[in-house]
Amino acid sequence: MSEQTGKQLSKEEKDARFEAELLPVLDPLYNFAYRLTLDEDDANDLVQETYLKAYRFFDYFEQGTNAKAWLFRILKNSFINEFRKKSKQPAKVDYSEVEGYYNTEDVEGDNGVATTTDMRSESVQDLIGDEVASALNTLPVDFRTVIILCDLEGFTYEEMAKILDIPIGTVRSRLHRARNSLKEKLEKYAKTMGYNS
Amino acid sequence: MESKFTEMYQKEPAEEKDGACEQVADMLDSVVDGEASADEQKFFNSHIEECVNCFESHQKQKLLKGLVSGHLKRVIVPASLVQTIKAKIQETI
Repeated sequence: MSEQTGKQLSKEEKDARFEAELLPVLDPLYNFAYRLTLDEDDANDLVQETYLKAYRFFDYFEQGTNAKAWLFRILKNSFINEFRKKSKQPAKVDYSEVEGYYNTEDVEGDNGVATTTDMRSESVQDLIGDEVASALNTLPVDFRTVIILCDLEGFTYEEMAKILDIPIGTVRSRLHRARNSLKEKLEKYAKTMGYNS
Repeated sequence: MESKFTEMYQKEPAEEKDGACEQVADMLDSVVDGEASADEQKFFNSHIEECVNCFESHQKQKLLKGLVSGHLKRVIVPASLVQTIKAKIQETI
């Protein structure tokens, strides 16, 4: 299956394959790095380091297999081995500030129809995103990681197990605990979304 | 289906202590993540049609997943990053 079997790739072939198969993953990879480090410069460094390693070990990558999962695994290992120690403390977003917004009269008042309409407006959608992000950022990094991999990037449990080097059972239980924790943080907010209506 | 649930909401919740609710609670994640087997999914679906509490938990779990997948903003990759990566690779070989 692999074209590299029995022959060494020329530099041109390697560069072309690297570009075609690995660079398209840049966007999700950068997003993952950002969600882990919570810092754009750190995410930038981590992604660069990941691609350098991927290039160095490209001969071990089997063409046609899951390039995204392979790169995510390299990035996760880099983060754990080197980055985590030196990376800054997660920026603490002032949760109460956003929370206060949703507790205004407009939301809790009797103007139910207007509230529902407002919930669809772009600015409110942005606030929902901010709220979810700030809640997620307060979770321990292991919890944050499984939620990002599963809900944002759509990896299967099996892929997550490979990326994180843990058994599938651990993926399940970690995801369960992570969601419970996130749920707790967002519960108040979920009510303002009209869940209770 | 909706009227059936409305009807259920108006009744006293059934005092179901046979463990089915627990099984369903354990399946919530795999169901919302599309990881449940066909048999599990079938069991799950038939249970939540009859159990308001589990139906509700399922809705909550879907909402939670949707909040992350649908609302978490993606960060924009710096325009220069691809070139930086390519340049670094050429430097190191």
